[in-house]
Amino acid sequence: MIKVSVNGEIKEVSENLNVLALIKELGYTTKGFAVAINTTFVAIDTYADTIIKENDEIDILAPVQGG
Amino acid sequence: MTKHMQTNENTWEIGGKRLSSRLLIGSALYPSPANMEEAIRTSGSQIVTVALRRQSANVKAGGDFWNIIKSLGIEVLPNTAGCHSAKEAVTTAQMAREVFGTNWIKLEVIGDQYNLQPDPFETVKAAEVLIKEGFEVFPYTTDDLVVAKRLADVGCKIIMPWGSMIGSGKGLMNPDNLIAIRKQFPELKLIVDAGIGKPSHATQAMELGYDGVLLNSAIALAHDPVKMADAFKYAVEAGRLGYEAGTMQQREFASASTPTVGTPFWHQFNEEV
Repeated sequence: MIKVSVNGEIKEVSENLNVLALIKELGYTTKGFAVAINTTFVAIDTYADTIIKENDEIDILAPVQGG
Repeated sequence: MTKHMQTNENTWEIGGKRLSSRLLIGSALYPSPANMEEAIRTSGSQIVTVALRRQSANVKAGGDFWNIIKSLGIEVLPNTAGCHSAKEAVTTAQMAREVFGTNWIKLEVIGDQYNLQPDPFETVKAAEVLIKEGFEVFPYTTDDLVVAKRLADVGCKIIMPWGSMIGSGKGLMNPDNLIAIRKQFPELKLIVDAGIGKPSHATQAMELGYDGVLLNSAIALAHDPVKMADAFKYAVEAGRLGYEAGTMQQREFASASTPTVGTPFWHQFNEEV
C-alpha cells in the first residue's frame, strides 16, 4: 500500500495503480469528474497510462454552482 | 412588442456564438436549486457560469445541479474561481474543458483574499497559455487599462473588467476607467463582471457601450431572485438600447424643453416693467 492525498485527505491505496484503477478503488465513476495529479491535469484518455506514486496529490473535481 | 424584439436585430456574437441576451448569469447562492432554475430562465440569459470543486466518491458527479444546468439548454461558462496562480488556473481550465465539454473559460486568478482582486500578472500569464491551447478566454480583471491592453496583446478577444469587488453590490466604482477601456478597444467584447448590485448598475454599464454584464449575487441574494432576474433582463436591454440610440450631450445650464414661442400670459408690458 502507498499513501496518497485524495482531495486533501491522506488515503492508503494499492501500489502500481493507474488512474482508472485508482478511481475505481476509491469508488468514483469516470464520467462527470476530472482528475489532476500534483496540480497537473490528467486527461481521461491517459488514465490507463498514468501510474499513481507515493505522496501523489490527487484532485477529483465535479460540477458545482459558480459565479 | 418593440421593433427590435420583432426583428431580433439586437443579436450579438461572443466566443463564436450568436446570442440575443447580453446578460451573463451566475448559478451560485440561490435559496434553492428550483429557485436558481426559475431565475435563470426568467433572466433570459443564454450564458450561465459554473465551477468545479472537490467531490467525494459517494456523491453522483455534479448531482442534480449539473442536470438542471444541462436542461436549461444554454451556454455554460466554467470559471477558475479560487485559483491563486496561473498554474492552478490553467489546470482548472483543462479539467473544466473535459467535464463541461466547452473551450470557454472564465479566467479568475485571485491576488488578494480580502477584496478578491484579480492578480493581473498571473491572469495575463494564464491567458497566454490558455489561448495557445485553444481556449476562448473570458478574463476577469480590474478596470486597469494597461492590464486590459496586456490581455489583448496575448490574444484575448473578450475582457471582463470589474465594476467593483465581487459580491459587494457597489456598482461601477470607476466609470471613467471603464469608458477608457471601451474607447481603447472598440473591437473587443467587453463585459462588466462583478460588483453589480441593482438593475440600474447594469443599465449604466450597458449605456457605457459594454457588450454585456455578468452578475450573480445581485439576483441570487435579492429577496425575490426570480423577480430580480426579470428586472435585470429589462435593465440590460434598456441600457443597450440607450447606448445604441445615443444619449444627449450634457449641458452646464438649464434649457427649457417646452417651446417659448406662444408662452401664455407674456406680453410686452413685461419688458417695460
